[in-house]
Amino acid sequence: MNDILFRHNRPDRAVTLDEYRAEGGFQALQKALADLSPDAVQQTVIDSGLRGRGGAGFPTGKKWSFVPRNLPGPRYLICNCDEMEPGTYKDRVLLERNPYLLVEGMALACYALGVERAFIFIRRGYELAAQNLKGAIAQAHKAGFLGSAICGSTFNLELDVHQSAGRYICGEETALMNALEGIRANPRSKPPFPAVKGLWGQPTVVNNVETLSNIPAIVAHGPAWFKALAATPEGAGTKLFCVSGHVQKPLCLELPIGTTLGEIIDTHCGGMRAGSTFKACIPGGASTPYFTRDHRTVPLDFDPVAKAGSRLGTGGVVVFDQTTCMVAATLNLVRFFARESCGWCTPCREGLPFVQHILERIEAGRGEMADMDILREHVHKLNYAFCALAPGAMGPVEGLLRLFEDEVREHITGGKCPLGN
Amino acid sequence: MVNLTIDDKQVTAPKNSTIYDAAKINGIKIPILCHDKKLKPFGACRMCLVEVEQMRGRQVPACTTPITEGMIIRTSTPDIIKARKMVLELLLLNHPIDCPVCDKGGDCDLQNLTYEYKVNANRFSDEKFHHEIDYSNPLIERDMNRCVLCGKCARICDEIVSFGALTFISRGIETKIGCEFEGSLNCEFCGSCVSVCPVGSLLARPFKFKARFWALTNQKSVCGYCGTGCNLTLGVKDNKVLTTVYDENQGFHNGQLCCRGRFGYQFINSDKRLNTPLVRKNGSLTEATWDEALELVAARLKGAGSSAAALATPRLTNEELVLFKRLMETAGSANYDHSAGYAHAALTEGFAKSFGAAASPATILDIQKSDLLLVIKTDSYETHPVIGFEINMAVKNKGVKLNILSDKRGKLSKLPDAQTLVHTPGSEIAVINALAKTILDDKLAAGTAAAIPGYADLEKALAGFTPEAVAGQSGLAASAIKRLANDYAKAEKALILFPIGNAYPGHNADLASAVANLALLTGKLGTEGSGVLCMAEKNNSQGAVDMGFYATSGLNAGQIMDGCASGAIKTLFVAGENPVVSYPNRAAISAALDKVEFLVVSDLFMTETAAMADVVLPACSFAEKEGTFTSVDRRVQHIKPAIRNIGQSRTDFEIFGQLIAKLGGQAPATPATVFGEIAASAPGYAGMSYASLGETGAFAPVAVTAAFVVPKTVAVEPAAGKLALVTGSALYHNGTLSQFGEGPMHVCPEGYLELSRTDAAKLQIKENDLLNVASAIGSTKLKARITPRMPEGVLFSPYHFGAAAINQVWSGAPVTWVTVTK
Repeated sequence: MNDILFRHNRPDRAVTLDEYRAEGGFQALQKALADLSPDAVQQTVIDSGLRGRGGAGFPTGKKWSFVPRNLPGPRYLICNCDEMEPGTYKDRVLLERNPYLLVEGMALACYALGVERAFIFIRRGYELAAQNLKGAIAQAHKAGFLGSAICGSTFNLELDVHQSAGRYICGEETALMNALEGIRANPRSKPPFPAVKGLWGQPTVVNNVETLSNIPAIVAHGPAWFKALAATPEGAGTKLFCVSGHVQKPLCLELPIGTTLGEIIDTHCGGMRAGSTFKACIPGGASTPYFTRDHRTVPLDFDPVAKAGSRLGTGGVVVFDQTTCMVAATLNLVRFFARESCGWCTPCREGLPFVQHILERIEAGRGEMADMDILREHVHKLNYAFCALAPGAMGPVEGLLRLFEDEVREHITGGKCPLGN
Repeated sequence: MVNLTIDDKQVTAPKNSTIYDAAKINGIKIPILCHDKKLKPFGACRMCLVEVEQMRGRQVPACTTPITEGMIIRTSTPDIIKARKMVLELLLLNHPIDCPVCDKGGDCDLQNLTYEYKVNANRFSDEKFHHEIDYSNPLIERDMNRCVLCGKCARICDEIVSFGALTFISRGIETKIGCEFEGSLNCEFCGSCVSVCPVGSLLARPFKFKARFWALTNQKSVCGYCGTGCNLTLGVKDNKVLTTVYDENQGFHNGQLCCRGRFGYQFINSDKRLNTPLVRKNGSLTEATWDEALELVAARLKGAGSSAAALATPRLTNEELVLFKRLMETAGSANYDHSAGYAHAALTEGFAKSFGAAASPATILDIQKSDLLLVIKTDSYETHPVIGFEINMAVKNKGVKLNILSDKRGKLSKLPDAQTLVHTPGSEIAVINALAKTILDDKLAAGTAAAIPGYADLEKALAGFTPEAVAGQSGLAASAIKRLANDYAKAEKALILFPIGNAYPGHNADLASAVANLALLTGKLGTEGSGVLCMAEKNNSQGAVDMGFYATSGLNAGQIMDGCASGAIKTLFVAGENPVVSYPNRAAISAALDKVEFLVVSDLFMTETAAMADVVLPACSFAEKEGTFTSVDRRVQHIKPAIRNIGQSRTDFEIFGQLIAKLGGQAPATPATVFGEIAASAPGYAGMSYASLGETGAFAPVAVTAAFVVPKTVAVEPAAGKLALVTGSALYHNGTLSQFGEGPMHVCPEGYLELSRTDAAKLQIKENDLLNVASAIGSTKLKARITPRMPEGVLFSPYHFGAAAINQVWSGAPVTWVTVTK
């Protein structure tokens, strides 16, 4: 089911502007500029129930509405394409196949927000995606969908692609703005929130690639159509799920939001590999607590996943089979987060490497029972870090202690990894 | 005001406060490590976590969270205490527990918090760091193993000092504070980073292993170097000033100091201090008793009349200067002066005529309240570094526009959006006249201007100073002059700053009149954030003017020197000045002092001038004195002795008093008595008493009687084949006294000649080449320093140094034309 994001995809290359337009591309922008006020576009997005696809799931229209109307000076839109969450690669696939959705989506968002200069912050590793985007922006310029007096209206817009040096922390929206300004990518304290005081001190909205790529379809077909795409009554739209791990066919696919975990693995990914049985998975990227066999019927939408004790996050599903040691898996993730900590605040900078060292000890069979309490304490206290990195890093640890306590205990009592790692 | 509840207590706090500020003003203590009231909120250490009921009981940092109406805050629930304990445990994971040998012991925030939160055993343990300790400079030791990454050092260096020597390097657990490209520290050495470091990562090396912190007695004082009037706390043990102690609540500058203030205190207890009076016998100075020495001096002064003269350093207290004046009057002489006779002319002639008062109608506090600053000479940073910090903060934090008019670029030129107009040396008065002319022509003058006396004369005199006419001689574009005039006139609040001092002969009465005209024309005077601030060089330069210690009916310093040379002056009493080094034309000064029959010098050290004396009297430093100092903005501050007199040294107050008594006069018993007299007679000091000065001092108000004065301009004629030498102050020095401060001498040990890259290439000069600099009056040898800030054809040299002194070639003209050879 490729209703929106993968609708124009060609199997082996990016869609061209002509092909995109032939299939209805840029009609939403033309329609909005001709018939809709910026407020009407914003209201359409609010009504659509679209929630941010970057991980936090914040309602997009609501985020836009926080931008004060009457502040002097420019305002900015930034597309966050610093996709670095382990297990997540949807934005890359999207941009490698269709950069025009993002260009049109950003144009619509900028029109709604009154932005005349917008940035796409893309990580250094995404070279092909960046080239696609730059090409698409140039083509859209030529065709009159960017630049000044777009489609004969009074709306002007320039898009810039910023290929960042790239670090996980740059995906945090305020650290991203610092990086874009050319200073060290530390998160900023909130308040003030970016919608009021963001890039260069001006009102700024930061949205994910997938989020913005949904906007053209929402404007073209309306909120009701968009909502109806979901597999859950409260959900809206489709979602890109990027599946990896011990499944037959790891891939990125567009499905109604709220499709169950079981259906994704069994129907769309060809089930588990031969000889593999499902043990656990990460449902939404590296910072989300695990799901087990018991969660296979959970619809992968924001609220049901949260109710089940995890987060939908980015939709990056990493599947583990029975050979996976959950302590080792958690250690792998924590090691990533410890390395990617910006080093700003004490809990994250000092706490994550410490947690990593405890997990290393447990995995090596040198753990003590008291370590479990220390880990629990960290799961609780690292929530009070400066930004969401450390709490995110504790997601898998929390899941480990809640769902696989026995496995951890076995490591400690047995003096070695029960799976022989 | 916002109403809120903190720990079940109903309190109020100003709008826009953070939770931390609100708690603090209500006497509730929240622990902090990375927060500093002078710096932007940081929120990194997480020690200040508190619970806010409205945020679902979440723990939020008090230092970054703004208060809202009705907020209910708890600052010390068991869960918060646990969280803070854990922060400390995490910090101590890597922190070396080397407190017994750490100089910070007893004054360490981490140590104190660990004690307070009873973290007696760390449940966690991990590997310690193995960073190399930076011992590359003699003033600041950097030990990153002890660092808690509060970032205060990097932040203060950026936000206040605007140097940016320190920054965060790497990420995660490997994050550390370092210099660019992991190099060693090479900066202004103001030590601001040391002062705010909460642990022993940044330490003052001159103080290392000198004393434990708790063994020091802290004595509040006022810095004895420049005229900013910074407050100091001296750390004293065994009658020795061992360090300056940081106190963030001290002074308008919140305890911030420059290199001299923080690291230049060693002159106080220098082993080069004079200990006993010396009397010249058979051609050489030999030890004598005070009685013998004072008898000799009294005999020379008694009835000397106008054959006696006096020069004083404006480092003396107001009370000492009053007494010195009285001594000369008792001797029958009106010949007394200070600062080469011209360095104070901006005040005593310029402002005295333009404003009717020999003082600045603005204060340092106006800098951050202004909209536009016009700084004459980038040297304003070097002469008064802490005023420079105020400018940095105004520009960086408050968005104040900065315009600079200077003969070279400087540190201030690098501030965000700073506009620097680099004019040819000596043409500044013409440029300022052109600004005034533009203001008149563009109808930007205030309505009140025409009513000020002298308006018609000024208008007429400015006729020849169109921007186009001045553009040629100043090297500036006429459009740049017009733009600056418009920006200045149109700013709601605008402040002009300029430095004066022995090294700035160009900054004389005429420059003061010229800038005064600008302020009077546009009405930028008398309101907060507007005015003119003349920054005098020494710690009590303004006081010396206020006490009237300059030539009114007698000879000025220049004439006194001429009198010595001609034989008209037979007895010269020099208190603390070192004219041989600090007055222009060393050969002439030396000859004059050689000629004078009887030379008395009271000083801390055997200066070049003291070495020529017939009687040398060992005087006391500011740290041994009681009295008052008056800063450039007429803040009168009371100092008390921090230590007892060194050796047999006496304060100049005692010396002058005893001489007055020997001459048969009535000497006041204490400085307090004299201050009482000052309060009764000095304009603006009325009603002051030691008690009313308190710890923060009090401003002597300046009553302005405005008048336009036409400034003289002398066209500086370029000399073919020669380069223009301008003199000034080096950042680390002030007068000649800082030669006895270890810190300043470590960083800047000798004079140098700064020149442009173009001139260096032309003359095939390399960095540190020893150059022969020659003018019409003499020559000297100086090391080359090649910098991008110097315009082609212009040379700069600081004047502080006795060895290879620049006054061997510098004649006292605004510009000295010299040749430079290798």
